[in-house]
Amino acid sequence: MRIRNNTVVIGKVSLLVVLLLVGLTVLGCIGTKTSPEGGSGGVVADGTLFLAPSVKQAGGFGCTPAAVDSKLVALSAANGTRFWEIPLEGKRSSGGFGCSQSSTPAAIYGSPAVAGSLVYVGGYNGKIYAINIDSGAVRWVYPREGSLEPIVGGVTLALDRVYFGDADGKVYALDAETGDKQWEVPLGDKIWATPAVSGETLYIGCFDKKLYALSAIDGTKQWEYLVEGAIVSTPLVYNDTVYIGSFDRNFYALDAASGHLKWQFPAEKWFWTKAVAYNGTIYAGCFDGKVYALGAENGQELAAVDLGSVIYSWPVLVDGRVIVATEKGEIYAIDAANNQETLLADIGEAVYAPLCAGDGVIYIYSQEQNLYALNIDSGANLWNLTIK
Amino acid sequence: MEFIGEIWNLIAMQPMINTLIVLTSYLFNNFGVAIIVLTLAVNGVMFPLTMKQVRASKAMQDLQPKIAELQKKYAKEKDKLAREQMRLFKESGVSPAGCLLPLVVQMPIWIALFQSIMRVLAVIPENLVGLSGFLYSWPIVYTTLPLENHFLWLNLATGDIFLALLVGGTMWVQQKMVMAPATDPGKQSQSTMMLWMMPIMFAWLTMTFPSGLAIFWVTSNVFRIGMQYFIGGWGGLVKSEPKKPAGRDKKYKERIAQVEEFPSLGADIVVPSSTQEEGSSDEESGDKRPDHGGGYTKSLRATRRQPRKGRSHRRKRG
Repeated sequence: MRIRNNTVVIGKVSLLVVLLLVGLTVLGCIGTKTSPEGGSGGVVADGTLFLAPSVKQAGGFGCTPAAVDSKLVALSAANGTRFWEIPLEGKRSSGGFGCSQSSTPAAIYGSPAVAGSLVYVGGYNGKIYAINIDSGAVRWVYPREGSLEPIVGGVTLALDRVYFGDADGKVYALDAETGDKQWEVPLGDKIWATPAVSGETLYIGCFDKKLYALSAIDGTKQWEYLVEGAIVSTPLVYNDTVYIGSFDRNFYALDAASGHLKWQFPAEKWFWTKAVAYNGTIYAGCFDGKVYALGAENGQELAAVDLGSVIYSWPVLVDGRVIVATEKGEIYAIDAANNQETLLADIGEAVYAPLCAGDGVIYIYSQEQNLYALNIDSGANLWNLTIK
Repeated sequence: MEFIGEIWNLIAMQPMINTLIVLTSYLFNNFGVAIIVLTLAVNGVMFPLTMKQVRASKAMQDLQPKIAELQKKYAKEKDKLAREQMRLFKESGVSPAGCLLPLVVQMPIWIALFQSIMRVLAVIPENLVGLSGFLYSWPIVYTTLPLENHFLWLNLATGDIFLALLVGGTMWVQQKMVMAPATDPGKQSQSTMMLWMMPIMFAWLTMTFPSGLAIFWVTSNVFRIGMQYFIGGWGGLVKSEPKKPAGRDKKYKERIAQVEEFPSLGADIVVPSSTQEEGSSDEESGDKRPDHGGGYTKSLRATRRQPRKGRSHRRKRG
C-alpha cells in the first residue's frame, strides 16, 4: 500500500511541477509589462485642464492589460466637467495572448502643451497631434502618413515651433501652425527626454550618455557633454546654467553657452525627473527617494529631503513651495524657505505623471487612472474622477 | 506573499539581473551575447543535476518494455502492480524521483533567468523604472543601462518568426531524442501529440514574447540536445543503433540487462524473503509460481553491491 501511495505521490508531484512551471511562466509575464501604459500629466490653460489618459484594453492569460489607445480630454479645471475628448489611436495588428505588444500603443508620457488656440501632444504611437482647444478638432498630425518610432518625452513649444525627441534618435522641429517639418537632427541613440529651449538654444539628453545643445533655429550642434549614464530627464535652464541628472547617479551643472562642467553632485540612484529652481536653490528629485536641495552656483548640498519612495513625477513650484509626488502616491510640499517637507495628501496610488498646478489647485493623475484636484495649501481633496 | 516576493527578488532576481547587466557590459554591450553566455553558464552549473535527470529518464525509458509487461500481467491487481513496479525500479537501480528531483531544484533557477531577461530588456519606461529597484549599487550596472536591444537582425524586445521556428525545431528534436517507443497504441498517440504540441506551443509563445527569451530557449535546447547526444546518441531521432552507453549509463544498462535475462517477470523473480507483507501479498494474488525467496539472482545482487575497483572504502579483513 505504501508503494502505491509513493507512485501516486510522484504522479501528483509531477503534475504540481508542471503547474508550477506554467504558473510561474505566467507570473513572469505579469511581473514585466510589455505594453506601455503611459503617464501623462495635465496642463491648465484659461480654466481648462487638458489631459491625455490611456485607454486600457484587457490582455489575455492574466497578463498585464495592454494600453492600445489614448485620448486627449478637455475638462473644467474647477470641477472636472468634461468639455470634449478626442481619441488618439495606435496602430493595430494581430497579436497573441495579450502578453505581447501586438500593436503600437498610443500611450502618452509627456504632458500636453498649449500655445494660442492649439494643444499639442506626442504619443508612443509615433505621432504628434495639434488639436483645437475649443472644439477638440484635429488641426494637423505629424507625420501625415505612417508614424515615427515611439515618442516617450513630451513636446516643447518655443519660437512658433514644436520640438520633440524620438526613439529613432532624432530631434524634430515642426512649424506649430502647420505641422511642417522645419528640421531634424540625428543624435547618437534613442531619445526619451523632453527638450528644453532657452533663447535660441535647445537642450536635450540622449541614451548615448550625452547632453546636446542645438540651435533651435536650424538644429546645428553647438556643443555636447558626455556623462557616464543615459539621460532621460529634461534639462533645467536657470541663470545661464543647464542642470541635468543622469542614470550614472550624478546631477550636473553645465555652462549653458559652452557646455563646460560647473559642478556635479553624486546621489545614490537614477535621476529621471526634471529639477526646479527657486531663489538660488535647485531641487532635484531622485530614484533614491530624496529631493536634493543644491546651491545653484556651487552644487553644495543644502538639504536632502527623504520622501521614502522613488520620485519619477515632475514636481511643480508654487509660491515658494516645491510640490512633489512619490511613486507610492504621497504628495509633499517642501518649503523653499527652510527645506522642510509637509505631507499634503496620500492618494495611495502610483504617480508617474508630471504634476500641474493652477489657481491654487494641484492636479495629480495616478497610474490607476484617477485624476485628483487637491487644494494646494491644505491638500484637501476638492474633487476626483476616474478618466479612462 | 509580499515577503516571499521580496525573498525571491533578493536571492534569485537581483543576482541574475545584475549578472546579466555586468555580462552585457563586458561582452561589448551586446545583450544577445550576454543572454547566450549566461544561459550556457547556468546550464553548466546545473550540468550535474541535469545529467542525473537525463540519465534517470533514459534508464526509465529502457525499463518501459518491462513495465508494460508488468502492467499487462497485473492489470487487475493494482496493488501488486505498484509493488512490482517499485521492486523493478529498485532492483534496476532506477528511481522515479531521480527524474523529478533535479527538475524541481532547477526550476526556480530557470524561472529566475526567464524573469530576469524579461526585466532587463526594459523597453518601456515602466519596465525601466521597475528595473531600477533590482540594481546593485555597482557603478558598472548604472552606466550600462539601458541596454541596446539589437542583436544580429533581431530586435530583442519583439518577436521574430525565424527564432520561433528555431525554438519549435530544436524543442522537437530534443523531445524526439528522448521519446520512448511506446508499445501501447494509446500511449503512442499521446506521445506523438506531446511531441508536436509542445514545440508548436513554444513557437507560438516565441512569436508573442520578446526574442531575447527565444534566444534563451534556443540556447537551452541546443545545450540539452548536445548533452542528450553525449549520453545516448540520437535516441529516437534516428533508427540506427543507439550510442554505446558510458559510465553511469552503462551501470544502469547492465542492471536492466540483468533484469531482462529472466524469462518472466513478477513475483517469481523479485520477491525478497525478508518482507512479510510481500509474502502475504503473493498468496493473495494466487500466484502459483515457485518462490525463489531471494529476489534477483546472486549474480545481480553481486553486480549491485560490487564496489568499484580501487575506490572501495571498505577495509579489507585480515
